[in-house]
Amino acid sequence: MKSAVTTVVSAADAAGRFPSMSDFESVKGSFDRAKARLEAAEKLASCLDKFTNLAVDAVYQNGSYEQANKDKCVRDIHHYLRLINYCLVTGGTGPLDEWGISGMREIIRIQLLPTAAYIEAFIFIRDEIKINEVMSQQAETEFKGLLDYLINALA
Amino acid sequence: MLDAFSRTVVSADAKGAALGTEDLANLRKYVADANKRIDATLAITQNVSCIAADAIAGMVCENTGLTQPGGHCYPTRRMAACLRDGEIILRYVSYALLAGDPSVLEDRCLNGLKETYLALGVPTSNAIRAVEIMKIATVAIMTETNTGRKMFKGINSGSGAQCQDIAAEAASYFDLVTEALS
Repeated sequence: MKSAVTTVVSAADAAGRFPSMSDFESVKGSFDRAKARLEAAEKLASCLDKFTNLAVDAVYQNGSYEQANKDKCVRDIHHYLRLINYCLVTGGTGPLDEWGISGMREIIRIQLLPTAAYIEAFIFIRDEIKINEVMSQQAETEFKGLLDYLINALA
Repeated sequence: MLDAFSRTVVSADAKGAALGTEDLANLRKYVADANKRIDATLAITQNVSCIAADAIAGMVCENTGLTQPGGHCYPTRRMAACLRDGEIILRYVSYALLAGDPSVLEDRCLNGLKETYLALGVPTSNAIRAVEIMKIATVAIMTETNTGRKMFKGINSGSGAQCQDIAAEAASYFDLVTEALS
């Protein structure tokens, strides 16, 4: 799975060489960012339910979606946020790619679910929720980067 | 392939739970030890030929018949293959050590290794002995308990004594190789 160290190791293995100095530099670089990532993951885990509910409430407020589906929407948003939590931990987009994006969009479409609703929810989390009240600036940047990645993938 | 981070994630996903404070404690230690881990990996990469060559030479010295006509390391072509394999195993151990997880070693090196050796007629008992010597040498170099000069230059000023934990982890990866071959 794509994460901080595996990309470096895969490349070294493909070339049949030992990890080089530049590989160590890149691993070190991802470890330097790891503190912010792990903080973001930790804070997100504690606010997962809160963020989900705020976002889904906001999406359903204007009445353009069927209220009956609301709990399923909550489940899915919760699922995606959990995958973002995993991505923050791994330092790569592996978990979102493998468990959230490949195939997931097709599933959403085939069941005639509005992807726009998901996108609205994540944009709400990114722009409206005061994330900086729960985590530091750097952690927030890491979290928002992954939200952007997910929004682009679903769009 | 997994590393320490993705291993944690995979096991959390099996439970369907997000990773909170308690789960992250081990990873914080992994991050805090990053420099030591890089130094320990450097101890391997800077001494590859030395570790591998010594181990194969040691294996042959204990079994001089190996290089005699009819022995498994005769002619030199087969001896060279032996040295090459020693380096390959070291390479995968260095990957596993850097990643903090043995999956790369298991998936890409050990899976099917014993069967390959049996099919090629490589004596696994000798191979295991060579791996044991590589393990001892690697741990000694990492912890700077080898006789003679300091064998590696890390990116930190830290000494080998601080690499004890990580050297033990490296030893466990060599043990996996031994297990896979026996």
